[in-house]
Amino acid sequence: MRVPIEWLKELVELPESVERLVSLLPLRTIGTKEVTDRFIELDMKGYNRADLLSMRGVAYETAALLGSKVLFTEPEESTYFWVQKELPRINVTVSEETISPFYCLVKIDGLKVEQSSQETQQKLADAGMRAVNNIADITNIIMLEYGQPLHAFDAAKIKDETIIVRRAKKDEVIKTLDGKDRKLSEMDIVIADSEKAVGLAGVMGGENTEITNETGSILLEAAIFDPVQLRKTATGLGISSEAGKRFYHGLTKKRLLQALNAAITEYQKIGGRVNGIAILGDSLEALKQIPISLNKIVSLIGTPIPAAQVEEYLQKLHFNLLPQTDAQGSSGWMVTPPYYRLDIEIEEDVIEEIARMYGYENIPAQPLIDNPVAKVEQSKYETIKKAKDGLVKAGLTEVQTYSFYSSNVLNALGWTEDRKSLLLKVVNPMSAETEFMRQTVWANLAEVTAQNAKKGIKDIAVFELGKVYQLTQDLTINEYYSLAIAVMGEPETVLKQVHQYVVKLCEALGKKAIFNQGFGTLPVELYHPIKQFSVLINDKPAGGIAEVHPRVMFTLGLEGKRVAVAEIPLSVLI
Amino acid sequence: MNEQISTIKLEYLGKIKAATSLAELDQIYLALFGKAGIITLLPKEFPKMEKAQLASIVPAFNQLKIDLNSAVESKRSEVREMSYASLSQESVDLSTPITLPLRTGYHHPLMVFEEEIKELFKKIGFQQFGAPNIDTDYYNFEVLNIPAEHPARDLWDTLYIDKSGLKERNENWILRTHTSNAQVRIMKQYKTPVRMMVIDRCFRYENLDARHEHTFDQFELVFVDKGLSMAHLQWLSEYFLKHFLGEETKVRLRPKYYPFVEPGVGIDGTCLFCKGKGCKICGGIGWLELGGAGMIHPSVLKNGGIDPKEYSGIAWGPGLERILMLKLGVEDLRVFRNGDIKFIQEKGVPAS
Repeated sequence: MRVPIEWLKELVELPESVERLVSLLPLRTIGTKEVTDRFIELDMKGYNRADLLSMRGVAYETAALLGSKVLFTEPEESTYFWVQKELPRINVTVSEETISPFYCLVKIDGLKVEQSSQETQQKLADAGMRAVNNIADITNIIMLEYGQPLHAFDAAKIKDETIIVRRAKKDEVIKTLDGKDRKLSEMDIVIADSEKAVGLAGVMGGENTEITNETGSILLEAAIFDPVQLRKTATGLGISSEAGKRFYHGLTKKRLLQALNAAITEYQKIGGRVNGIAILGDSLEALKQIPISLNKIVSLIGTPIPAAQVEEYLQKLHFNLLPQTDAQGSSGWMVTPPYYRLDIEIEEDVIEEIARMYGYENIPAQPLIDNPVAKVEQSKYETIKKAKDGLVKAGLTEVQTYSFYSSNVLNALGWTEDRKSLLLKVVNPMSAETEFMRQTVWANLAEVTAQNAKKGIKDIAVFELGKVYQLTQDLTINEYYSLAIAVMGEPETVLKQVHQYVVKLCEALGKKAIFNQGFGTLPVELYHPIKQFSVLINDKPAGGIAEVHPRVMFTLGLEGKRVAVAEIPLSVLI
Repeated sequence: MNEQISTIKLEYLGKIKAATSLAELDQIYLALFGKAGIITLLPKEFPKMEKAQLASIVPAFNQLKIDLNSAVESKRSEVREMSYASLSQESVDLSTPITLPLRTGYHHPLMVFEEEIKELFKKIGFQQFGAPNIDTDYYNFEVLNIPAEHPARDLWDTLYIDKSGLKERNENWILRTHTSNAQVRIMKQYKTPVRMMVIDRCFRYENLDARHEHTFDQFELVFVDKGLSMAHLQWLSEYFLKHFLGEETKVRLRPKYYPFVEPGVGIDGTCLFCKGKGCKICGGIGWLELGGAGMIHPSVLKNGGIDPKEYSGIAWGPGLERILMLKLGVEDLRVFRNGDIKFIQEKGVPAS
């Protein structure tokens, strides 16, 4: 959310400098992404404060932080345009209440498409949005101020002046405003007229009802849709929008009606006449009531906060408080958060409000009490440490490689397309380098050896202890720690070196290794035909040691030197 | 000139064919394509020639280049395959040990850092726990108060595992995006009070560059006891950051949203370069964001079978690579997992 500073000044008293607000925001409310002389950008990624997606919400928050006042009032519902004036009904149907629990539509005639005023254009620019024309700009300005997305259809292009909110039909296609044909699923929600879909609810309007220079009459939509379905549709189609964010975070009917009324006023200013309305759904919203206790506040924050201070903080945030004593006789309040704070649901949420107003940075550190816990088996982690220490002491250097097989490794190891189904696969990899999970560690070490040799490193003797990921024969995932060693050297000695490192490792862990020549047949020639040994550690199968086949090393970019490796599952070392 | 080209071709194709070793082929290649190689020098004659002549010579010359190059390549792989065929003549006797070359082994700097962290928290009673790297959506998100299509999912760009070949296709398998997938497992498995630590790999959909990694290590404390508070969060953060960044380091907590904690906090430490005065590294604010934490959300405690009325919980974790980069003065995240031995020898710790 980009908050234009000039606009904020219209909505809230800023008695102190903007710098004070800028420094308080991250300490009390939310991190800022960017601050310039024209705007403050709040870091809303994944955040749950739906209210901060509106200028009014930001104004309330600012007032609470600075102890100042907002410069607007919450309108009385009796003043709304449609309450004061009898209007014809527009023919609107919502097929299922769950897809749109609240849907409003207003017909406005007498409009003429022009450029918005300089002031409006500047506001939009400061908020990071593009000015389009006076009709579309009003929808965006109102959305930014109230947090309620609006959409304007060209009324002349809506067949029979009828709107139906429904799920898409199987394989229904709509051309969206960006000119793309979108094929829909039966779960997607569309806005349709009596004949065709005219918009993808809450995601993007249809091209067929777009505002053009000829538009004189619009159907203005303000609605709440099923946020879960909307987000699914938008992610599925790869569309992200300012409106979308607000729909997913949650909207209130109260704010929606305020926004609709404010929009009507704006359209009237540019000559619009309201000639029809439809309001579908119950506009009542229950306010939440949350009991909070002073004891719990103090024990969760960890520092005494007097009751009067709790009240002051919450009142600044427009929470309603009713003092009460709970069953255990400890004092507290029944709290009603303001209607726009959808993120406040439980006692802990309210305590967070108190804590942040108090200032997290003012909470003093308190040492942990010595409350011993039951001992838990740690042998796996102790073995990992001992094994690493033993190998480093023996002269090996510890490396870390990715949990994937690179395309280079896949190629060298002969993982042809038909065999790749035996590997665990990432459905949405960033690139071919992160598509398949590694099944062994040694292959990545062989690659690393070749890469280091290319850089001119003469002596290479490395190990890695990390997880490997296998698809088992019964189609389950087997993930376990595996230890691999790789040494570069000469044909006569390189495997013997690896052999000795394994012997030393076993000595360090009090184990005994036996080496038996041959692995049995493999689908691909990965190892030297003779210099390959399976290993038994304390009589349990424990992987093997081998010289990597020179052809594999050549594919990885190393020639003229031999590389020998070991791969041993951690489980046999414990 | 045409004749000369034919002669070269004949002569060198013969030589290539007769070669029996890669070294020999390297010599031939150098004689042809090296700095003073025949093929390198030949075009220097071209400017002296007439256009009409060149019209036939240039294509012939280009063909010569291609032919010789591919002859060397195919002979090379022939020689290689011959040498591979002779591998079966080799032997090895493991019963006669050799003396290992004198080498100094190094611990990887990230692993050194992690070991030190584990030791630090072991001292105050934390024990290690492991959770799967490939996990279900359920443990990674749902039990942590992050249902499907929750806007907070934007915080984690997730890598999905292809489940079409798996037995359990009803689950959505993913690469865990955080160590928090251990939280509910820990609570279910152990009796309270619980002091556990999780440290290992996590994954995110992220294109690799100097400042972004798809693979990273996380460290997380899962701490459940009676009477835990944000004041303990402050203490734990100080305990950690003062140890690693110096006793003079100041720590401050800030509001931050994670769906599985409430209240949620971000952990800042004073910038270790300017000591809080403000510099280029910290963007002039004097503080660096170094981790995230919070009081475990009551729904998560309940999912772990713990009564939130009786117990509270702390989840706490610093960003490992970020802190280590600051400590080591490393500017490229990729060095930790690219296997560069030089880097490890420079920044790691040699065998004691």
